[in-house]
Amino acid sequence: MAKFNVNSNAYIIIYSVVMVVLVAVLLSVTSLSLQERQGENILNEKKQQIVKALGEDPATASYADVVAEAVMLDKNGNKIEGKTDADIFAALGDLTASFEAGEFPIFKAANGSVVIPVYGAGLWGPIWGYIALEQDMNTVKGIVMDHSGETPGLGAEITTAKVQSEFVGKTIFEGADFVSVAMKKGGATNNHEVDAISGGTKTCDGVNAMLKAGLEGYLPYINANKSNE
Amino acid sequence: MSNLKNLTGPLSSNNPVIVQILGICSALAVTVKMEPAFVMGLSVMVVTAFSNLVMSLLRNGIPSRIRIIVQLVVIAALVIIVDQFLKAFVYDVSKQLSVYVGLIITNCIIMGRVEAFALGNKPWDSFLDGIGNGLGYAAILLIVAFFRELFGSGTLFNIRIIPESWYIANGGFYSNVGIMLFPPMALIIVGAIIWVHRSFNKDLQEK
Repeated sequence: MAKFNVNSNAYIIIYSVVMVVLVAVLLSVTSLSLQERQGENILNEKKQQIVKALGEDPATASYADVVAEAVMLDKNGNKIEGKTDADIFAALGDLTASFEAGEFPIFKAANGSVVIPVYGAGLWGPIWGYIALEQDMNTVKGIVMDHSGETPGLGAEITTAKVQSEFVGKTIFEGADFVSVAMKKGGATNNHEVDAISGGTKTCDGVNAMLKAGLEGYLPYINANKSNE
Repeated sequence: MSNLKNLTGPLSSNNPVIVQILGICSALAVTVKMEPAFVMGLSVMVVTAFSNLVMSLLRNGIPSRIRIIVQLVVIAALVIIVDQFLKAFVYDVSKQLSVYVGLIITNCIIMGRVEAFALGNKPWDSFLDGIGNGLGYAAILLIVAFFRELFGSGTLFNIRIIPESWYIANGGFYSNVGIMLFPPMALIIVGAIIWVHRSFNKDLQEK
């Protein structure tokens, strides 16, 4: 080593280039060889969230036990034929694009309730979730929400069971009109509202917009399957 | 014997967190529960050990003008590899650690040890030094997380220690200490550990 002048410009440039290429190759190999396993983990998490939205414990009930069928709907609420489960889960990765393309993934449980994926913006970054409706397509059976960067203790509380359990039993229709379900500052006043999180108003607004916009896309399907009592 | 000192020194008398006061930020962030603290400690140990090893092997060929850049590339590459492995094998924990895995790159312990030790010592010594410092860091993380999880959540490694029936909600007398879950409490616990540690190690006390 002492033979080289390790501080000459040529040596520094060659050294940098070789180092960067080697590191790039190493990282690519690692990433490629672990990709499949990481993809499985991500898919598994989505399935667990769907199971949780239906009010089952992912530790005891598997996705296959709970969900009878994953279906892609068009914007009129009709099933698009020929979509595999893999297509449907891939659509969950970019819901905005999927909704824009007129494709609406939905998960049907054996007992007739459905899980609808929703996506929106919180205060700091994206928020997303899965809302489950009872067979009547009106009553909320459960909800799971997650976020990427909401404030811990405030907006991030939307991920807690305490907040999510408040949605259970609320209804999204007032008579025949769709009203969605919203987090209401100052406390819930009717059966379409739940208490908002104090200090998390912007995140709650985001949740409200997410649920309203998300459920609206599924209205044709919901209306067609709604039980009119 | 000097080899062994590289390994054991950082555990107590030269601990990176409570003596060198390095890596405090992540110690505050990931110590709410034992499990992420454990994985974080392990990850940092792997990165310090291998960055020390690699830098020590390269130490005679590195142009000194781009020394820091080379260190950063090696450390960053190792951290990305660790992050990929966490995502593949312990996905839940990787989600909890979120950005902090990436921030291992900026953990002062790693660059500190590379700069202060690995560039001037043989590979095996450097590797042990890295393991030792990683262990010292992990030990403090686990002690802090032990108190925070036990008193903040009533569990250890997510296993319930304080019985449900003790809680006020179930007719008992006990309730979790909420402040334990907030970062300031980690700083207070680190402070308490330093206090206890120094009262046993008189030579560390500043005059």
